[in-house]
Amino acid sequence: MAAKPGSVPTTYPPNPGPKTRPPIFKDNDLDWVRPDGRGFHQCRPAFFRTGAVNSASGSAYAEFGNTKVIVSVFGPRESKKAMMYSDTGRLNCNVSYTTFATPVRGQGSDHKEFSSMLHKSLEGAIMLETFPKTTVDVFALVLESGGSDLPVVISCASLALADAGIMMYDLVAAVSVSCLGKNLVIDPILEEESYQDGSLMLTCMPSRYEVTQLTFTGEWSTPDINEAMQLCLDACDKLGKVMRSCLKEAASASQE
Amino acid sequence: MVGLSVGEKHFIQGGIAQDLRSDGRKRLTYRPIYVETGVIPQAHGSARVRLGATDVIASVKAELGKPSALQSDKGKIAIYVDCSPTAAPVFEGRGGEELSTELSIALQRCLLGGKSGAGAGIDPSSLVVVEGKVCWDLYIDGLVISSDGNLLDALAAAIKAALSNTGIPKVDLAAETTGDEQPEVNISDEEFLQFDTSGIPVIVTLTRVGRHYIVDATSEEESQMSSAVSISVNRKGHICGLTKRGGAGLDPSIILDMISVAKHVSEQLTIKLDSEIAAAEASEEES
Repeated sequence: MAAKPGSVPTTYPPNPGPKTRPPIFKDNDLDWVRPDGRGFHQCRPAFFRTGAVNSASGSAYAEFGNTKVIVSVFGPRESKKAMMYSDTGRLNCNVSYTTFATPVRGQGSDHKEFSSMLHKSLEGAIMLETFPKTTVDVFALVLESGGSDLPVVISCASLALADAGIMMYDLVAAVSVSCLGKNLVIDPILEEESYQDGSLMLTCMPSRYEVTQLTFTGEWSTPDINEAMQLCLDACDKLGKVMRSCLKEAASASQE
Repeated sequence: MVGLSVGEKHFIQGGIAQDLRSDGRKRLTYRPIYVETGVIPQAHGSARVRLGATDVIASVKAELGKPSALQSDKGKIAIYVDCSPTAAPVFEGRGGEELSTELSIALQRCLLGGKSGAGAGIDPSSLVVVEGKVCWDLYIDGLVISSDGNLLDALAAAIKAALSNTGIPKVDLAAETTGDEQPEVNISDEEFLQFDTSGIPVIVTLTRVGRHYIVDATSEEESQMSSAVSISVNRKGHICGLTKRGGAGLDPSIILDMISVAKHVSEQLTIKLDSEIAAAEASEEES
């Protein structure tokens, strides 16, 4: 459709030329604001809703800014015959991305890594001995990737497990911190993650004050580790309260 | 899986509580470490590391490739680990896949640093030949030949040794090229470039059994663990990566304590490993 000469075109070409990526953060640039206007130590508003999928034993939907995740929990079901006998339950986790989750189609990050990380973060919180010989399936789907995908998946999965009535010691809240230059930035978005020098993800059970999973990448000094961990623990504590209130809301709504 | 009787389990746990493990070690002592370099002639660099009955090989191969569009000033480094069925029958077929990915990811996290390349053991920008056009792609492959616990530490040591053994052919530009043309290069077969491996961290895995933690756990000890944390520490004493390997939750203060213990242990391990690598290189040149 050609626009009339002289008139302003109302459509844009799909590809606005080669994108330039100027560094979003320079050293000594203390007036820098984050792309979404948050403070360095401010998380995105979290939204949780349980019961997103009807056919699942339990499910939850989470939205943190642009990151949107849906998790369903199935089971406990009988473990496959091929598996060895086990007097504790098994947990089967899988994280996948929709093809439209990322800016470039079909370029989700490594799901294998995410699946095993999800498993490790949850196994310490679930009372596996309460469902011997059986398996619980946790399937997570990232609808839109907007940064800090894995922490959102983990928090959402623990909420879905609670919704399914799987016995747990506590909910698992997860938060990540990015290290940009000398600054620590909590709950990074996709753009910040692509520039990060290091990252730290911490998942914990807020009421028991126990860390179920912790990963670092990049070079960290001890004071930075202390600061980042404290930052994450505080954020997890608050996130845990949000998750708890979501469960309470769902429970009181079903009673009415 | 290790089948242990109740008595054996108590023996291991009791020994760890009394700081005398079943093989006579203390809680924070490594098994003797043996390094052999240049074991695979076809690779650009290779090393074999033995840690008790744990036996691993690491090989480094370099290929000329094109840098990715997003990071035109950096070469690519990939780490893969393969668990051979010779180590344990459970690794046959797809059985070893889970452990392989877990180890590969842990090594990538611990050795390659953050997305921007900060804290990486090898500087990826040193692999560039022509910016945006030609770079070296480094393929680091680990192979588990025999497994008796503490695979991650052994693999990291093997990779460090293999990289110090690696010589990358010197590349000269054949002719001046302009524009988008792919430049022609001459690969020298006489001159080799060596990596500066002093920045490559070592990985220390602390396994928690009961109320105590131990380094370099054997598979019997690993079967009794409640949780394990792998920490990679470089020569400067900075943490370059950390992964918790599942298991029960830990108090944050315990993790911080583990980090300081790992730093302390890594100092001795780095010195020991460096001298072993130097000795292996020397004996390779003699033969």
